[in-house]
Amino acid sequence: MTIGFGIVELVSIIMFFFSYYAIIVSRNMIKSIIFMSIMEVSVVMFWLSIGFNGNIVPPILQSMEGHSIENIGDPLTQGLMITAIVIGLSVTAVNTIMFLTLYRKYKTTDWDIVKKRQMAG
Amino acid sequence: MLVYFVIVPIIVGLILYLLYKSTLVRIFAVIAQLGLVIASVYMFIQARAFTVYEGAIKGGFLGESGIIERIGGYESVMGITLMADTLSAVFIMLTAFFFLIGVIYSFNEQKKPLFWMLMFIWQGALMGIFLTSDFFNIFVLMEVATLIVTVLILFERAKRSMYDGLIYFMANVVIMQFYLLGAGYLYRYTGTLSLYIANEQLKFIEREYIILPYVLIMTFIVLKSALVPMFSWLPKAHGTPGAPSSVSAILSGLHIKSAVYLFLRFQYTFEVVAVPEFFLAIGIITAIVGFIMALAQSDAKLVLAYHTISQIGLIFTGFNIGGPYSYIGSLYHMVNHAIFKSTLFLATGIISYAYGTRTIYDIKGVFKSMPLVGTATLLAIFGITGTPIFNGSISKYFIMSGQQGIMQYILIFMSLGTIISFVKFSTMLWGKPNINIETKKVDIAQQIPILLLGSLCFLGGVFGQQFILFMFNTELSVNPAGYLEKIIIFFISLVVGILIYKYYIKKSKLLKRVKQIDLGFRGICIAMGIFFGIMLIYVGFLQ
Repeated sequence: MTIGFGIVELVSIIMFFFSYYAIIVSRNMIKSIIFMSIMEVSVVMFWLSIGFNGNIVPPILQSMEGHSIENIGDPLTQGLMITAIVIGLSVTAVNTIMFLTLYRKYKTTDWDIVKKRQMAG
Repeated sequence: MLVYFVIVPIIVGLILYLLYKSTLVRIFAVIAQLGLVIASVYMFIQARAFTVYEGAIKGGFLGESGIIERIGGYESVMGITLMADTLSAVFIMLTAFFFLIGVIYSFNEQKKPLFWMLMFIWQGALMGIFLTSDFFNIFVLMEVATLIVTVLILFERAKRSMYDGLIYFMANVVIMQFYLLGAGYLYRYTGTLSLYIANEQLKFIEREYIILPYVLIMTFIVLKSALVPMFSWLPKAHGTPGAPSSVSAILSGLHIKSAVYLFLRFQYTFEVVAVPEFFLAIGIITAIVGFIMALAQSDAKLVLAYHTISQIGLIFTGFNIGGPYSYIGSLYHMVNHAIFKSTLFLATGIISYAYGTRTIYDIKGVFKSMPLVGTATLLAIFGITGTPIFNGSISKYFIMSGQQGIMQYILIFMSLGTIISFVKFSTMLWGKPNINIETKKVDIAQQIPILLLGSLCFLGGVFGQQFILFMFNTELSVNPAGYLEKIIIFFISLVVGILIYKYYIKKSKLLKRVKQIDLGFRGICIAMGIFFGIMLIYVGFLQ
């Protein structure tokens, strides 16, 4: 097992913490939802980068022929990430619907104003 | 066999949704749930017999201990493994039992097919969390459970609760990404997603590489089990006016325990880097902050919700305190907390429906207007405050076992806090009822479950040692002299608690300011980052 950082992993980690920072600082709900999606994408990218190097081939029979086992992509991470992407999609959908209902009630996209009005009742 | 515990509830839920016509279908739901209870008890007895590894109760696992099922017949390195040892089987049994209570309670109250479908799918997801031993399955099932809970807590009066639901959902989704990143690191370093193979692999990897996945996953656990500093979502989810009482009861009694259960499993998996003393400190702070926040509330459901935070803190304290029996005591307290907290939530649902309000000060004389509900509530209050011979006293006695000096006083202080907040809560019971008794009739299907749970609070105290022996396969005995000392301490703190409530809490201005403390979504996210940083520094540099 090699332990070291490739460029893809580095980018995905930077993306992860960048989107986390953006979630903290943005008062706009839409932006929060968008950056949550970016966070999900960065995690998916991190998983796909596991065992990735420049000359890797997909784990499909035709393209695998003539390659040694180290150069074949890991099918497990790809299978898992399809699930994660689908979950991320439905999560974004639910988030957007809930945001819309909230927007119709309070007529604002600002977290702080919504919180104030909610506390007031 | 194990896979049916996940699939059957989901199929039953779909059948209920598709064929929903009349009462007949709801009777089918109750029968199906009864079947699940019986199956889970049978499975528990089997799993208890097969569990040979003595560390199993501590969240540990060892090769072939317990019932192992490999889905699809693959080897455990490649396929998905379901495992039931004593610890997980206890939770399966509890899940089936509490959903039976929830189903009976909602029998006449809930008539929408969507509610019944979601209840059963939620049960399937929870059972999956307790059974699985695979990092990615935990992610998927947790997401499913979060989605379903979001829909359920918005179920009635949807618009007013939309903000609460959004905060709950978004905070839980963001923390899920932390978890998935941590699991990714683990997969990168160990090449496996299985909890037990990871446990063995981690022993051969240098410590500095494990720190990041451990801290990421533990940040997830801390948010999910609502410890300090990330508890602000819990009162929103558990105390929102839109949630049906049965949903609140299961959320507070059972759903939150899934995170505590995962904590035990992960602490064992990462035993090379585990930091119990850190979680001891977090647990103590949570317990104290929880009851102070609970005292500041005047909404009955919010008092219970904040009090859940305090009790989870106590449970974490018990797990990490290191006393001879405190671990088992804490496990038993988890079961007890599920029993009395769901009784209180269900009773509060009935009471607030009858009185038309949830403000504690506006409700008087529950005992006279609804004697059975009042009795059940009183039994549960006895349980939660640790009154002698009730179940809470047994588990608190074992948690406190072997503690001396400052630690003992901290634990007594925690239970004093519980007493004060429930002195406040119990003011609902006394006095003259301020509603017309004749017009309010309580549904019999709602009275049966809370009376059953209330009497379990009492039985759990009288037969406490037998229950512990049955559920956790551990023989403990109560020392009469030590127990007598606890009884004296209890009565002293009861008197002190009533005095403090009368002369301080009622007039306190400070508590009114505490009530205003409330983190929004961004606040919770900042708390995640702060906690992540502190824990990373602690595990990485101070160990």
